[in-house]
Amino acid sequence: MPSKRLQTTGTVLAVLGALGTVALHWMVFFWTPTEATMGVIQRIFYIHVPSAWVAFFAFGVVALCSAVYLWLGDERLDQAASSAAEGGMVFTTIVLLTGPLWGRIAWGTYWTWEPRLTLTLLLWFIYLGYFLVRASTDNPERGKRFSAVVGIAGALDIPLIHLSVVWFRSLHPTPVVMKPEGPTLHPDMLVTLMVGLLSFTLLFLGLFLHRYTLAAATHLVAVRERRAQA
Amino acid sequence: MTYLGQVYAILWKDLLLELRTRERVAAMGAFAVLAGILFNFSIDQTAVRPQDIAAGLIWMTLVFGGLLGVGRTFHLEAQDGAFQGVLTSPTPKDAVFLGKTAANFVLLYVVALLVVAVFALFFGLRLGTHPGMVALALALGSLGFVALGTLFSAVSSNTHMGETLLPILVFPLLVPMVIYGVSATARLLADRPIAEVAGNLRMLGAFAVLAVAVGAVLFRYVVEE
Repeated sequence: MPSKRLQTTGTVLAVLGALGTVALHWMVFFWTPTEATMGVIQRIFYIHVPSAWVAFFAFGVVALCSAVYLWLGDERLDQAASSAAEGGMVFTTIVLLTGPLWGRIAWGTYWTWEPRLTLTLLLWFIYLGYFLVRASTDNPERGKRFSAVVGIAGALDIPLIHLSVVWFRSLHPTPVVMKPEGPTLHPDMLVTLMVGLLSFTLLFLGLFLHRYTLAAATHLVAVRERRAQA
Repeated sequence: MTYLGQVYAILWKDLLLELRTRERVAAMGAFAVLAGILFNFSIDQTAVRPQDIAAGLIWMTLVFGGLLGVGRTFHLEAQDGAFQGVLTSPTPKDAVFLGKTAANFVLLYVVALLVVAVFALFFGLRLGTHPGMVALALALGSLGFVALGTLFSAVSSNTHMGETLLPILVFPLLVPMVIYGVSATARLLADRPIAEVAGNLRMLGAFAVLAVAVGAVLFRYVVEE
């Protein structure tokens, strides 16, 4: 089994990510200062923003692996793409659950057609299409190619969707970290956010590697079964 | 045979097929007229002026009606393995895609003009001072729509969910088309100056070009065995 080492790496990353997530929760609840205007509810930001980062990062992995998969036809790239898509969908769901909770207090409404909300919701549906296409093809090879096409078309359309929904309406808080004049967050808040970003990324990579080795093992079993029958 | 000749051959074949069966145009056309009738009963015309909401209704009719026809792009050819014949011919797959997209575009554009005519007839809609620009917006939007629709129709018709899968795949990607298309049309219907819609039309054009290019590149991976 060549994937033994990957599995170990996955376990290490996932445990580190999980420990980081526990530490993050302690920081969010007891350590980081309360934001002046929004109050306690702002603390959900440390879960929300790292999840959003992972959601879009995972979709980048999906698109990249899908494109190279169509080009080279290597099984492993499809397994990587679909594993990243599963993780990505989980984190997109977290973004969509935490966002409205915050919005209810900060904006006074659960949902608005604000660009980043809209884009994340559409990303969730693109992920949904990705899995539905895979699940509803009788020929697995075809399902892999179809889902890769969905991933690539989605990734190429996302910049245009983003432009159009920004043009449509903008209400989301403007970025407080990534901007030319440097972050305006309180240093303690920035540290908490960084811990969040790091641990969610590690957690995602750990889960991703585990999912990937599982996909590889499933594939191997299928190949051997076919050989045994032949 | 030149590349454009091959595209044209596919386009002509599809249009001829449609001329003889009239299945898809009849379905889409009837849908457009009937949707117009239902919209008439769904609007309280003493509360809202149809002129104000017509742009959104026109585009939604186009999207839903278009899906009806575009979703069946490969339906007729799937029988008796006719499409296998097209695929085994030396025609490049992207030429097949462009030909089919062009044929779908002709069908959908006819329906788009019919939708506008239905709204003009049923709701007394005035097209404003630039009807040509409304036609251009509908053309660019239709082109982007049929490009994505043709690509994903090839996907969905090979799944056991069939056409029910098509809206789930296509609708999220159509957001830019709906936003720019509806706002351009609404402004034109409200007699606003051309300068206010130029940007929207450019974005509609960019969307159409991207959709056609993406479809032409990815189509071969959908149809290859």
